[in-house]
Amino acid sequence: MKLSELGPEFKTEVMSHKEAEGLNLCFACGTCTAGCPIHEIFYEYDPRKLAKMVKLGMREEVLASPYIWYCTTCRNCEQRCPQNVKFFDILNVLKNMAAKEGYAPHSWIEQTKQIMKNGIIFSITEELKEKRRALSLPALKYNGERAKKILKLTGIDKVKDQGKA
Amino acid sequence: MPAEKEKRIGVFICHCGKNIAGGLNIRDLVESSKQVKGVSFVAENKFSCSEDGQQDIQKAIHEQKLDRVVVAACSPSLHLMTFQRCGEKAGIEPQFVDLVDIRKWTMHGSPQKTNPEEAFEQSKSLIELAVKRMRLKRLIPMAEIKAEHSILVIGGGVAGLEAGLDLADKGYNVYIVERLPTIGGKMALLYKVFPTNDCAPCILAPKTAYANIHPHITLLTNSEVKSVSGHVGNFNVNILQNPRYVDLDKCTGCGECVEKCPIKVKDEVFSAGLGERKAIYIPYDQSIPKKAVIDAENCLYFQKGVCRLCEKQCPTDAINFDQKANSVEIKVGAIIAATGFDEYDPSPKSEYGYGRYSNVITQFQLARLLDIDGPTNGQLLRPSDGKEPKRIVMIQCVGSRDEKANPYCSNICCMYALKHAQIIKEMVLPKAEIFICFIDMRTVGKGFEEYYRRTRELGVLFIRARPSEIVQNTETKNLSMKVDDPEIGRLLKLDADLVVLSCATVPSSGTQELSQILGVKLDGYGFFKEMHPKLRPVETNVRGIYICGSAQGPKDIPDSIVQAKAAASCADSELRKSKIKIPQSLVRTSQLKKGDK
Repeated sequence: MKLSELGPEFKTEVMSHKEAEGLNLCFACGTCTAGCPIHEIFYEYDPRKLAKMVKLGMREEVLASPYIWYCTTCRNCEQRCPQNVKFFDILNVLKNMAAKEGYAPHSWIEQTKQIMKNGIIFSITEELKEKRRALSLPALKYNGERAKKILKLTGIDKVKDQGKA
Repeated sequence: MPAEKEKRIGVFICHCGKNIAGGLNIRDLVESSKQVKGVSFVAENKFSCSEDGQQDIQKAIHEQKLDRVVVAACSPSLHLMTFQRCGEKAGIEPQFVDLVDIRKWTMHGSPQKTNPEEAFEQSKSLIELAVKRMRLKRLIPMAEIKAEHSILVIGGGVAGLEAGLDLADKGYNVYIVERLPTIGGKMALLYKVFPTNDCAPCILAPKTAYANIHPHITLLTNSEVKSVSGHVGNFNVNILQNPRYVDLDKCTGCGECVEKCPIKVKDEVFSAGLGERKAIYIPYDQSIPKKAVIDAENCLYFQKGVCRLCEKQCPTDAINFDQKANSVEIKVGAIIAATGFDEYDPSPKSEYGYGRYSNVITQFQLARLLDIDGPTNGQLLRPSDGKEPKRIVMIQCVGSRDEKANPYCSNICCMYALKHAQIIKEMVLPKAEIFICFIDMRTVGKGFEEYYRRTRELGVLFIRARPSEIVQNTETKNLSMKVDDPEIGRLLKLDADLVVLSCATVPSSGTQELSQILGVKLDGYGFFKEMHPKLRPVETNVRGIYICGSAQGPKDIPDSIVQAKAAASCADSELRKSKIKIPQSLVRTSQLKKGDK
């Protein structure tokens, strides 16, 4: 990897978002990574490493990485960070940039479609309905309209699957 | 009233090389200064503080018959004295030389980044104000007072003792006030000290013992400073001596009372909560003074009106339950605050479980456990079951370098973690595995890098990462944590029998209160603030009050000693002139205050 092929623009772009300002403060103590439940299963997902990759300007590798979509949003990373780096927010910036450039994964787009349709992330199949009946749970009410309104405000409905990821 | 003679004021504008001249138009500033009322001469210097610059100022004073001077250059805290001395040499009373800081307007990052208009306007108005001040200023009469040949040192730790002994050897009468019943401070409780691993009490004892017998030193243990008034050369200090309930003159320190006392309590101070002491106790064997003290909060007699076994046992009738707090008034010429530090209480870092998990301890507690004269006589036994730990994990920077606790580096934690790892490997449990999880290893100091090397030689393992949380096995009380080791690129699951937290160094409790009593400013972290972080590290905003040791910021023993000697030297420089010049108004106000009481 040649540093000359990278460049600082990517970092500047990420840090132009207010919520990503703290990135420079990271001193790589690894507390975020040690407490990350995703890292434990997928070693490739590593907050400390991602922060350094952004700083070095590894644009393609970061945005095209399928792992940035794996975060469970538990926020352990920022809660334990001694430097108050908001890694969760930085990751959101990265995900937004990735989505704009067509890296949003197919499954993720399908999930948002489901939410806009049904109000929940799963599709309401006959099997699911049957299961709920067997457990004497009330029938699910279709509530996608409200979810759709909210999601449209975020612009998430415009994210297109470009088959990159 | 006859009209006062018009003042002849000279204004000297400094270029400071390009520092000022690079950011604003000096020529315009010279012209605008000429228009200010009262100004009879304006000149510019490339460097006003240089030999040439000062000669130019002195020449102008003579030729132009100036009687007041305004220098527009840098900060008064840096150079006011320089220009006052320069003026004095040319016959101008120092009070009539003023310095205004125009450099701050051209130094926002660099002169190139300056807004020249803003810099000009601000500098112009600063000069106008200073000229007006000098035009209207009357001479403040100075008083010559006789300086007391005595010093108050607050804190009987290694820094306070060093400063006190230095001054006592110079012939000053020194009062050392210590809040605890013994002098010695934290150092006495550290077992061994880096980078030589000498026995801490052994190398401290020459100082404590000498302070105890020094003809010019008065030790006031169990005592606190309650109020301070006056000024340099003449401070009036009120000290509260808390009752010890033991007559210091009669007690021989034989310890028979301690043996008989039926009440055992946790010793939070001298055993860091890991050992017990009696309600009447002698802090430790090398205590100075080695005299018993009664802890009234736990004593049966004070709580329930019964017992008095110690009194019956004492062969010299030293126990005195009627002793009252005693207020002592002293006069001193200078004060040195050496109030030291406390270890940060890591309970708020709940992810590490301190206070919930019995086998998570702090480094200060570990020092007490390793001490052969400590609560376990040097046996390293874990608190939950008294067994020897096989694997020990140390976590660095707990509460230090942490924006959510203390943002600063605590300076000593890397070294004391290495020290404890060495002691365990060399002397206590050579077979124990020791892991140190760190962010950066800071071993800056003479002989410190070699100390780190020695620790590696002993087989201590270092992991450049920190765990996010510790989980305790509720049955075995063993601890486990995950650490992502960047060198091997794997997530390590570390199981440990004992976890030691290297906690931050924080200002000792009561520092805030004392700062108000002394009128000395604190820095943003609650340590005493020095006059200048580089050039005046032991002076404070109050003339005659000095600081040293960890009271000024986290510090190891070598640095504390250096500062203690510096503080002693400053106090000596001030007081060795038997007469001190101070503004008369200060003498009057301080006398008023005294009369008000």
